[in-house]
Amino acid sequence: MTIAFFLLFSWLMVTTKTRRQVVAVTLAGTVGATLIAPPPAMAQLSLTGAIQAVLDIVNGTIQSALNSINAVRNAIRAFYQTLVWPVNLINQARAQVTQMIGQYRQRMRDIFESDVGSATLAATGQLEAVMRNGQTSDFNAVTAYFRNAFGPIPAETAASPEDRAMTDMDDALAMGSLKTLKASDAAVDLTLDAADQLEDAASEAAPGSAPFLTAAAVVASIQSQALTQKMLAAELRQEAARVAHENAKRKRGATNTSRLGDQILKLLRRD
Amino acid sequence: MKKAYGKSIDGVKRGVRWAWQHKIRVAVLALVLALIAPRPVQTQFIDPCCAIMGAGLSSISSALNDVIGGGLSGILSIEQDIFDFERDIVWPQDLIDEAKGLVGSLQGIYAQIESLTRVPVNSATLANTQQLEQNLLSRDSAQIGQTSAYYAAVYGSVPSPTSAPAEVRNVIDMTDAVAQAAMKRAIEIDHLATLELEAADRINRSIQRAAPGSAPIIEAQAAAWLIRANAYTQAATADLMRVRAIDLAGAAAEVKSGATYNSALGQQLIDLLKRQ
Repeated sequence: MTIAFFLLFSWLMVTTKTRRQVVAVTLAGTVGATLIAPPPAMAQLSLTGAIQAVLDIVNGTIQSALNSINAVRNAIRAFYQTLVWPVNLINQARAQVTQMIGQYRQRMRDIFESDVGSATLAATGQLEAVMRNGQTSDFNAVTAYFRNAFGPIPAETAASPEDRAMTDMDDALAMGSLKTLKASDAAVDLTLDAADQLEDAASEAAPGSAPFLTAAAVVASIQSQALTQKMLAAELRQEAARVAHENAKRKRGATNTSRLGDQILKLLRRD
Repeated sequence: MKKAYGKSIDGVKRGVRWAWQHKIRVAVLALVLALIAPRPVQTQFIDPCCAIMGAGLSSISSALNDVIGGGLSGILSIEQDIFDFERDIVWPQDLIDEAKGLVGSLQGIYAQIESLTRVPVNSATLANTQQLEQNLLSRDSAQIGQTSAYYAAVYGSVPSPTSAPAEVRNVIDMTDAVAQAAMKRAIEIDHLATLELEAADRINRSIQRAAPGSAPIIEAQAAAWLIRANAYTQAATADLMRVRAIDLAGAAAEVKSGATYNSALGQQLIDLLKRQ
């Protein structure tokens, strides 16, 4: 653009004939040069001022912000290490678990496993042993030893159908409870194993792994509660059968008493 | 050659002559050329402005290095320290994996326990008692509808009004009611306990897939299930207490009605003897 302008202007200057044309071309050239010449850049601040401003920002605002972040992160680190998860207290908690395992576990196991068998006769000793052995594979032995100790259901000729039904039901629920208890004794042993395993793991746990153990322990509590409920259900059945048995005797007693009273009155009236 | 040289000399002479004759035009041309000619670029090394800029940039670089770099490196060191602490002390991966492994092993134990609860314990030998026993051990609350009929088949029904006085019939009916309710509750509790074992198994599986941050949520759910299980246990205990309370009341009612009946019978006998 500038070169084209200069060539045109030079050509016009050389080719003009009159003084008036020279003046006109000069004026036009001056206006044109003013228009196409790049305006000089005007700096807002001086260069040193600008550099100083940047340095002031770095040393002022940025430095104080970084110092603040540093201070906060330092405080968070101290908070974590001394207040939330102090390593000494974590180790102390683990040591306490280990110490309590040593102090109580075997002692409680010994107490729990001490023999409570008390039968003195052969037949009852057998039943007592089988109903306390925590096995679920010898239920036939329970039935056999139970019959040895408590006798079989009377023969049809020896008792009324009502009595036979009641004794059969009583025996069935009693044996059912004994079998349920054998299963629950086995479950108790397994539950104690689970508790031991959880406690062992707690003695080595970290704050981040402990929630898994706590959750597992709560689940184990649900399972243990479910087993308690199953035992309670067996007790309910047994207790209900006992009451039903007494009530059946009451029904029969009421009917018999009523009949007996009528017969006595009839006899007396005849005299 | 000489000819060309001579022509060039002539051309220059003519140009100089023309310029001398047109001094004003040449001056204007020179002025315009000076105005529109591009400015020379200043060198980095010689120009004093560049030296100032160089010193300034060096100061900025040093400030960035010392202030920002130093500050960030301090923060990085603390962050690294916090990261190491959390990774090694708070959430060590090996201990988390170990805990998950333990949950899996506990699940195995509870699978064994669950199978123990399914071992059949039925023992009745007669047809009607077998029916009742099967119903009672069904672990299925849908079968509660048949309990009363099976119960009556074994333990009989309430005597008719001609066979027993009203107060005795009341005691019998109340006792039967509470005994049957206890049996029905036993079926329900068995069913609920089976469902609880099922839920516990599911929760255990989810613990094995959990993260340290999500395990407490599962723990909260398990705690809710435990509370629910406690409530069912309380309901079963309540039924047990009801059975015993009604049993006790029945025993007392027997004494009461026996006394009344004996007294009435004695009076009737005295009346009869007096008549004779």
